[in-house]
Amino acid sequence: MAERLVKPMPDRDTVAYWQALADGKLVVTHCHDCGHWTWPPRPICSGCHGDNLALDEVKGTGEVYSWIVVHRSTTPDMMQYVPYCLALVRLDEQADIYIPGRLISDKEVHRGMRVRVVPERITDHLGDLAWTTEDVPA
Amino acid sequence: MSGNGERFPRGQAAIVGIGCTEFSKDSGVSTFALATRAIRAAIADAGLEIGDIDGLCTYGTADSVSPNLLAQALGIQSLNYYVDQYLGGSVSMSVMGQATLAVSAGVADCVICYRAINGRSEIRKNGAGAGPARAPWDIQFKMPSGYMVPAQEMAMNARAHMLRYGTTSEDLGRIAVLSRTNALDNERAMMRKPITLDDYMASEWIAEPFHKLDCCLETDGAVAVVIVNAERARDLPHRPVLIQGAAWGGGISIANNGFDDLAESPARPIADRLFKSAGMSPQDIDFAEFYDCFTYPVLSQIEGYGFCKAGEVPGMLKDGAFDRATGTLPINTHGGLLSEGYIHGMNHVYEAVQQIRGDAAHRQVKKHDVALVTGQLGYVSGYSSATILRGA
Repeated sequence: MAERLVKPMPDRDTVAYWQALADGKLVVTHCHDCGHWTWPPRPICSGCHGDNLALDEVKGTGEVYSWIVVHRSTTPDMMQYVPYCLALVRLDEQADIYIPGRLISDKEVHRGMRVRVVPERITDHLGDLAWTTEDVPA
Repeated sequence: MSGNGERFPRGQAAIVGIGCTEFSKDSGVSTFALATRAIRAAIADAGLEIGDIDGLCTYGTADSVSPNLLAQALGIQSLNYYVDQYLGGSVSMSVMGQATLAVSAGVADCVICYRAINGRSEIRKNGAGAGPARAPWDIQFKMPSGYMVPAQEMAMNARAHMLRYGTTSEDLGRIAVLSRTNALDNERAMMRKPITLDDYMASEWIAEPFHKLDCCLETDGAVAVVIVNAERARDLPHRPVLIQGAAWGGGISIANNGFDDLAESPARPIADRLFKSAGMSPQDIDFAEFYDCFTYPVLSQIEGYGFCKAGEVPGMLKDGAFDRATGTLPINTHGGLLSEGYIHGMNHVYEAVQQIRGDAAHRQVKKHDVALVTGQLGYVSGYSSATILRGA
């Protein structure tokens, strides 16, 4: 369990999302009426505006859409990694879901690079995520 | 039809006074003091009295003095209208639109729009000095990974634009050089040392693809403007600067489902409404002050507000289209947030008013009747805002 100074601030819409990451799973709000995925977790389906929703586990895989290399960080927990790659990843489940996270890889990053999620446990109830290339075993 | 901008009270309110403080790295005073100084200067410029003020509009991220404290200090017994909008540069021009609605509806007679900020000496936007913190709202999904400052978010979108249109670092560098060149003869500007494209390319990485010279300044200072109805404006000392149109609202961020390409300009969702509100098109704009917290948003706005097709800005930069003296669309004539100072966008209004009045001295552009002034693009908050100003 990693000590972290900057932590998510869960509310009633997001507490289960962070709990799932602490438990090693990436979950996304999923509409059981129309099938649309909504991220970040919200109390209404962005597809059909219904509320027959559940936080369902996703495959946790996707493609790098964009990335930056952070050379100057002001986040205390991240300074140790500088310079590090921060990637915006499109989930396989739905093309308009972009989830940012540190990309842990020695390979040269490019658009379309296949990646998978690396859940990180901060506390018993709070998790975070990073990404690594899909070929790295879980 | 309502909702598309056509019913905006076009040209019914006017900016009649402008005021500012010195722009510096350390004001040595509170944002309260800065705001009162800028307001006093603006009211004097308008030929009015403090007692005429009955509306106060501002915005910020809990880093400035609020309207109720100013009203008490200025002795305003009946504050008829106020806006204290939480958020950053994305709402910088929404307060202008809101003040116009208030004045044209007769809800208030004399509204001040102001922004006071100790952006270098007190609360910095880059998060420096942030100790243990917890990330609230949608920021909670970015901040833990260290994705927390606007430079990083804008750089991510700049990369998407590079991948789609072949935009290069040099293209962004030309915007940095243009801004600095325009600041050289601006007595308000914090940065008056020339830079070259080589200087830009050699400047250190902050969030690759952003160099240090892609990033705006951090500034202490304040700007205030006075807004009254257009009829009253005719009796005051300066050429009235009419608020011809304004739009504020939806933008694009990673948390807005439905956008499948973040290389799209977040100005696009408000651009049609903006020009409809003014009864104008991009061809009617003489010069523009684009919100330039970073270089890339300038490029994205030139596209998004319809001055060219996506991907055409780099060629236009090389051709000098945006140069102050000779370009077809002079931009950021004072040096912008990149080189004049970061008063969170309100300094763009100050400059546009000076230009429209013909008071911009060495910086004066030839055609100076109609200006586009914009707030930040939607990437960070999901909002954008902009106004079109016209000399009466």
